[in-house]
Formats: sequence, structure tokens, C-alpha cells
Amino acid sequence: MPDWQKLVRRRLASLALEPELRDEVLAELASHLEETYDAIRAEGVPEDDAVRRTLSQVPDWNDLQRRIRSARAKEVTMNIRVTRFWLPGLITFVVSMSFLALIEKFGPRPWALYLGDGPAVIRTTPSLMVYIPWLLLLPLIGAIGAYLSNRAGAPIRTVLVSSIFPVLPFIASFVIVLPVGLIIDRHVGVNVVAAALLRALLGWVLLPGAALLVGGLFAVLLLSRRSVSRSATAG
Amino acid sequence: MIRPGIKRGTAELAILSILEEEPLHGYEIARRIEEQTKGKLRFTLASLYPLLYRMEQRGWVRGAWENSASGRRRRCYRLTPQGRKKLAPLRLEWAELFRALRRLAKVADA
Repeated sequence: MPDWQKLVRRRLASLALEPELRDEVLAELASHLEETYDAIRAEGVPEDDAVRRTLSQVPDWNDLQRRIRSARAKEVTMNIRVTRFWLPGLITFVVSMSFLALIEKFGPRPWALYLGDGPAVIRTTPSLMVYIPWLLLLPLIGAIGAYLSNRAGAPIRTVLVSSIFPVLPFIASFVIVLPVGLIIDRHVGVNVVAAALLRALLGWVLLPGAALLVGGLFAVLLLSRRSVSRSATAG
Repeated sequence: MIRPGIKRGTAELAILSILEEEPLHGYEIARRIEEQTKGKLRFTLASLYPLLYRMEQRGWVRGAWENSASGRRRRCYRLTPQGRKKLAPLRLEWAELFRALRRLAKVADA
């Protein structure tokens, strides 16, 4: 049996689409050919004949490539990216930040960690503040992001990135703040600044990210089980 | 009035009607249409997917990857509320086309 994935990739080598979308299209077409081939073989048709009949599904690969390209225009790619990633991500971000603001205002005091050494300003400023109720809510928020992204037809990788979207701005700011802080703040030792920033990274990126990811993974698991059971019911 | 794109409309109608029953992946859409029309209407890969992608672009159908019971990953298409709305006028156009053809046939017989 031919490797349908390879065959489709070779024949549609110049399909100019966004990488993620392109991979999806190629995987879908290969899967269609594979099923066609399996069905023909199940009728007792010899392998060579089955391959020939399967390939007759596409008389002109260049024409197919052109028509797929035209159907999946740039505008569509943008729409797909918005509905699969940006929209679920932004909703997740807004919901998580709103809850954080509410918890800061009305919730219990955060768990705070102070650095033991350095100047007074460093010793009296908490280097790590953990809002426990917020952390407990984050799996639910991550699951919402994953659900919205999955509902829009996103692949698992995009679904999971959407679920952890709220920590992405923090990661970006740490990537900028950490080196800049080390260069500019010469009054404080490098080890102190680095320790403070690493603790903040733990509190604002790693812990919330893990909590969001747990929710995202849980949602993916539930949704994939649901789709399997639906397929099984459909026969 | 029957619009010039009626031919493509027939294919769209077939796909929308099949998806109205339940969400399906591409191969199954083609198989069901062939089965239900007793082989009169056939979709190949080359004719089906550009059309499906265009319908997805218009927001009539939405595709999402799902795992089958056999472990195969397939992109399942389901009708959107917009696609459901599109079905009624398409059916009307079809009925109009058939009426027109019947009238034409009578003239030809006379």
C-alpha cells in the first residue's frame, strides 16, 4: 500500500498555504485516499488496481492545488486563526484577569514570599505573591479556552496554547524585563535581581501556566472521548 | 429565476442536505451522497474538498478534527446555523429548476 501522506505531500508540494492549514489539508486528503483505497481493497480488488482506482479520484493534481488555494484564501486563513487561537486566547485572558482583579479586591490575602537578603526595599517587597483562589480557578478558565478553540476546529497544539494564553504576555514581559533589569539596576546584586525575577516567573508564569494547562488537557481529553463515542454511535 | 451557478448549487445542496442529518467527514459525505442517490451523484476527492473548503469559508459548514473509534483522525464537518439557513433557498431553487424542466419537457413532447 502506498504511503498516502507522502504521496499527497509530493503531489501538492507547491500548495501555498499557512503551514498549519497546509498540514491539515494534506492530512485530510491523504486520509480520504486511504479510506478510498481500503474500501476498494475490501471489495477484493488487487492492490495495483486499487491504487490505480484510488488515484483516479484526482485527475489533475495541479488543478486541485489551484482550487484548494483559491478556496482557502488568505482571508480565510486569518479568520481561522482568529477563531481558533486569538479569540479563545483573548477570552481566556480577559476572564482570568477579571477574576484576578476581583480576588485582589475582595478575596483573601495572597500568600507572599520575601527575599531574605539585599537592600531593605528588596527585603520588604514580596518577590512572590500567590493568589490561591485564582490558581484554583485557572484550570476551569484554561478548559474554557481549550473548548472554544477546539469548537472552532483547532488542532490539539493550538487548543493547548489557547488554554495557556493568559500567561503568554507575562512570558513576553519576562523575556524583556529579566535582561533589562540585570543591566539597568546596578545598585542591586545580579543574584538578587535574578532570584526576584525567577520567583516572579514562578508566580506569574509557571504556576498559572500549569494550572491553565491542566484545565486545557482535561478539556482535550473530555472532547476527544466525546468525539470517539459520537463516531462509535454513528457506526 | 434560476441563477447561473445552479450546477454548483446542486453540489452544495447535496452536501448541506447530507450534513443536515449528522456531522460527517469528507469520505463519508461522498459515500452517503453516492449511496442515497443510487450512484447518480458522485463526488471524487478533487470535486469534494475545494467545495467543502469554500463552504467552510462562507461559514455554512465547520470542520473539526475528531478521533474515530478505530483511532483514525478525521476532519468532521457539521452544518452551522448559517448553513441551515442556506438550505431552504437552495431547495427552492431546485424545485424551481425541476418545475421549469417539466414545463420544457411538455413543450418538447407536444
